[in-house]
Order: sequence, then structure tokens, then C-alpha cells
Amino acid sequence: MKNRLRVLRAEREWSQADLAERLEVSRQSVNAIETGKFDPSLPLAFKLARLFETTIEAIFSDEG
Amino acid sequence: MICSTNNPAQKRFFSRFAVAMLVYAALLVPTIAIFVHYRPSGLLAYGLAILPALPILGMLVVVGLYLAEEKDEFIRNMQIQALLGGIGGTLALVSVWGFLENFTQVPRLELLLVYPAFWGFVGLSTAVVWLRNR
Repeated sequence: MKNRLRVLRAEREWSQADLAERLEVSRQSVNAIETGKFDPSLPLAFKLARLFETTIEAIFSDEG
Repeated sequence: MICSTNNPAQKRFFSRFAVAMLVYAALLVPTIAIFVHYRPSGLLAYGLAILPALPILGMLVVVGLYLAEEKDEFIRNMQIQALLGGIGGTLALVSVWGFLENFTQVPRLELLLVYPAFWGFVGLSTAVVWLRNR
């Protein structure tokens, strides 16, 4: 699944480790989600959306 | 184990696993000594023989507890994949070896080796999962 995590993170000048700390997950998890290797669960997707003050659809896209 | 830094579930896993291994060693040595020196029989022998296996069962419970307590879903997912690889590898080994025992002259597989073989396969599987996801 494609996502805009890297862009959203860059806008806030957060490293993967910074985002991982805010999400209470490992840096590996953030990297895996960012690179599309791992699709987060709904609760984690909601957590991401809340953190970036946006919607899940604005972060993740299942198109192409 | 695919380790991540400051992971409380993994810290608890290693502590519990170490305790189970210590209990295993603490039970195995006297059990062997009792069988060598006193040659127990009947129900007592069965009870004593099972004793060192209990902490091994405990290690499996420790793994279950870890999976239940691991909050990082990506890490948990990788650990589950590694454990499935370990289970699959072990089943494949004992199945193939079983047929070899039936039809050829290979030595009999010692059942006590199955459990360490499982962890060996988990180790191999962990490396593969880690390389795929790094």
C-alpha cells in the first residue's frame, strides 16, 4: 500500500526514530510502513492519522 | 529473536527464558543423578523423567506470553513468521527423517534433538525474515 509518511515526516523534520517514539513502535516498524513492506493495523493507522492531524485516506492509498 | 531497542516485552521474554533454562538445568542434573544412583521404577520413574521437560514446556509458554505482550505489530509479525519457519522446518525434518528411517539405514533420530532443532530452524528463519525486511 502506498503512503505519504515520508513526506509528512519530512514536513515536520522528524526522523524515523522520532516518529517511532511518538507512535511507541520500533524504528524498523516505521521504515517498513514507509517503504510499503508492512501495512499497519487499523489502530496504528488511526494513531498515525491523529499524530499528523489528518485522515487515514490522506496518508494511505490503495491505488496503483 | 529480532531485537528492537528498549522493548519491554523482549526484556521480559529474555528474563523469563533465562529463568526457564536455569530451572531446566537445575532439574536435569539431579534427575540424571537419581536415575544413575537409585534406579527408580514405576510411577516415580515416570514422574522424575517428565520433570526436566516441564521447564521446556515453560519456554513455549514464555514465547506465547511474549507474542501476547509484544505491542509492536511489525516486530510481532516478523517473530511469528520466524516461529512458523521454525515449526515448518522441524516438521519437514522429522517427516523426511521418518521416511528415511523406515526405508533406509539412517540412524534413529533422537527425539530429544527435535526441540533444539526447532530453535535452530527458528534462528535460520529469523535471519531470512530479517534480511527480507531490513
